[in-house]
Amino acid sequence: MDGRTAAAIACALAGGTWSLLAVGALVRRGRFSRRKRALAAAAPAVALPPEPVRGYGWPDDEREATLAFLEANVPDTGETEDQVLLRRALASREPEVRRAAVTALGKLADRHDWAIDWLIEALAEGRDTPARVASELDRLAPRVGTRLVPLLGHPSSVVRFYAVRLLARHGEAGRRLAAGLVSDRSPNVRAAALETLRTVDSGEALRSSLRLLDDPNAHVRAHACRTACSIGGASAAPFVLPLLGDRSWAVRDAAVQALVSAGKDVAPAMLQALEHRDEPVRSGAALVLQDVGHVDELLERGDHTGALERIFAAGGERLRTAASERARLRGSLPAGPRPLASGADA
Amino acid sequence: MSWSDALHASVLACAVYLCLVYASYLVLMAVGLVEGRRRRRQRRLEDLDAAAASRFFPPVSVVVAAYNEASALPAAVRSLLDLEYPEFEVVVVDDGSTDDTLARLDEVFDLVPVDVSSRDVVATEPVRAFYRSGRDPRLLVAAKTGGGKADALNVGLNLARHRYVCGVDADTVFARDALGATMQAFMRDPGTVVGITSFVEIAEDPGAALVGGVEYRLPDRRPLLVYQALDYLRAFMNNRVAWSRFDFMLCAVGAFQIWRRDVLDELGGWSRDYTCEDIELTFRVHRHMREQGRPYRVLCLPDRVGVTEGPDTVRKLVAQRERWQRVILETWWSYRTMCFNPRYGSVGLVGMPFYLVSEIVAPVFELLAVWTLVAGAATGLVDWWLAGAVVLAITFVNSLFSTGSLLIADLETGAYRTSALIRVLALMPLEILVYRPIASWARVKGTWRFLRGDKAWHKFERNARAEAA
Repeated sequence: MDGRTAAAIACALAGGTWSLLAVGALVRRGRFSRRKRALAAAAPAVALPPEPVRGYGWPDDEREATLAFLEANVPDTGETEDQVLLRRALASREPEVRRAAVTALGKLADRHDWAIDWLIEALAEGRDTPARVASELDRLAPRVGTRLVPLLGHPSSVVRFYAVRLLARHGEAGRRLAAGLVSDRSPNVRAAALETLRTVDSGEALRSSLRLLDDPNAHVRAHACRTACSIGGASAAPFVLPLLGDRSWAVRDAAVQALVSAGKDVAPAMLQALEHRDEPVRSGAALVLQDVGHVDELLERGDHTGALERIFAAGGERLRTAASERARLRGSLPAGPRPLASGADA
Repeated sequence: MSWSDALHASVLACAVYLCLVYASYLVLMAVGLVEGRRRRRQRRLEDLDAAAASRFFPPVSVVVAAYNEASALPAAVRSLLDLEYPEFEVVVVDDGSTDDTLARLDEVFDLVPVDVSSRDVVATEPVRAFYRSGRDPRLLVAAKTGGGKADALNVGLNLARHRYVCGVDADTVFARDALGATMQAFMRDPGTVVGITSFVEIAEDPGAALVGGVEYRLPDRRPLLVYQALDYLRAFMNNRVAWSRFDFMLCAVGAFQIWRRDVLDELGGWSRDYTCEDIELTFRVHRHMREQGRPYRVLCLPDRVGVTEGPDTVRKLVAQRERWQRVILETWWSYRTMCFNPRYGSVGLVGMPFYLVSEIVAPVFELLAVWTLVAGAATGLVDWWLAGAVVLAITFVNSLFSTGSLLIADLETGAYRTSALIRVLALMPLEILVYRPIASWARVKGTWRFLRGDKAWHKFERNARAEAA
């Protein structure tokens, strides 16, 4: 075969394949558009149903058939044979099939309590990513309720973590159950228990969170700050304050956020903290005073106590500049052009 | 050696090279189609709405590095704040802009000067000021002394509060489900997946192209934009998606890259030693993880997460593409010891050699092909019929790859209109005449500048944009 013939064959092959693919793409697009228009005309608010799966026609391909079933039939299922199929899907070795079963169970659980039990089982047995199963269960609160109790003693800390987080949506009783896990051996579970307790207005929850401010794990200490301030408000400030100087940045940041969330009442404690021997505590306190609006207040009404200077000394030059810029914006200081820190004035 | 022998040798070399590259592209396209189908099914089988509202999906810190982006940045930030995801923060780092980038942000988001604490895990140029949006407290702006994009991203990394850090470009507008869809992929295997990038489309004006953060309009009028859109489609759907299947995804694009923060901390953040930071970081992650023998994955998803700006003039396009070529060369050369090294698994044995063949030596063969044609014409040795047939065959094969990637993307997003598809398909065969010479010239220029040690960014002017309502 000479070069010309070879080139001609290559040309014909490439051209033919491209034409076929291009026509295929257009035909597919045309069908999709027609289907979309038809659905829009029938019910404008209805979402497009899933496209048919090619593998559905092959009965010997169990995986494909199961997936196709889960995609297409889930909303109306509930029959015994469907439950058998779902059970098999949940136990499948294929992560994709198990994932599909969890999504299907999430939809079914709106109407069938057995689906909730199966989801809890899926969480306990690690059938799918725990975050996904927990997301489905979270939607179903408060129906999940006491079914979570067995999971609180589960040997896996991951399961206990999600169980205790889920309890946050199950009212006072759920949060009481969570209180039992603040002493869990896993730091993640302790942090999750604190997270769940955050909205509880009880002395016991406050005591638990204050105790965990000294936890060896930084993640737990950060959660303890948030929970303590959330329950105790400004009264928790003296306990949280030392964590402004914690060795972990995440804890220091959490302490600032927690104290800010407690509101302006924390100001007296923060002003005292400006004299603290640790520099990070002093600068953290200055940040809190800025974020609760105390700095702006002092600038507005005029400060004769020297507090403002102490705050600026603790917070540094950037805090001082930001405060004067804010004052200028509010009109408390003489007006001038907006001094944004652009590169041009560098 | 006679002219005739030299020409024959040259033709043979080009033919072998072309066959090698096309064969690998064909395999990658087939893998891309399979992966695309798998991902579509995943999306259908996963409850994305439940994820978008879930308390159990980890919060994300989105970092935008911006330098002189006054026209593009407000739309990008607005689209980020509109993301449908349970918890995230947006940190914009202004890298010493000399235009009115900050003033535009202030206008739109009402910036209030504040001070904040920073982790300072990576050394950076000093930050001069911080601003928090008075309209949306999730938005924090840092104004710093210029130090380059990598330095700006590192400032964002220092400020990032959350476990996942998403670096994005300031000229990109994001789809509402960008984080939701991507984080689902992280949550499937949170212990192993350390980085994810995803498909980004291009447009002349991204804000106008991504209507309501949902509906995308494929560029179908201006050939320069159409060909760039096809280039992006091929790069993502035919290449990166398939690479990630084989665990050698070597480029998490700057427009959208999510990393686990602990991995970034461990590696010291983005490197300032390269013209561009995204490819280098991906290479570094691979090397680090493989050397430590830790299980990890870096993925590319076919999900469209946003629309970025494509240069609207040939001059801007050449400036962009020559920079990309330099970046690829710089990075590949720095990590050349990984190539063909079994210690680095598929990255060393497949990914690096693939880059070598498809990117590094491509300009050499492009120049060789041109020389062959010119020399053949000058000496009267060209068989014009044969040359025409070969060019036509190349045109069809290129169009085949473009159509394949377009099909994968349309199956994935269902976003293209029939009329746009027809126009784009009709323009495809002309790509070799209109667009390829420009891209090849940019690659040759980039290679030349690399050899001269040029590391400048050569930022081009942004396209004109419609005023936001």
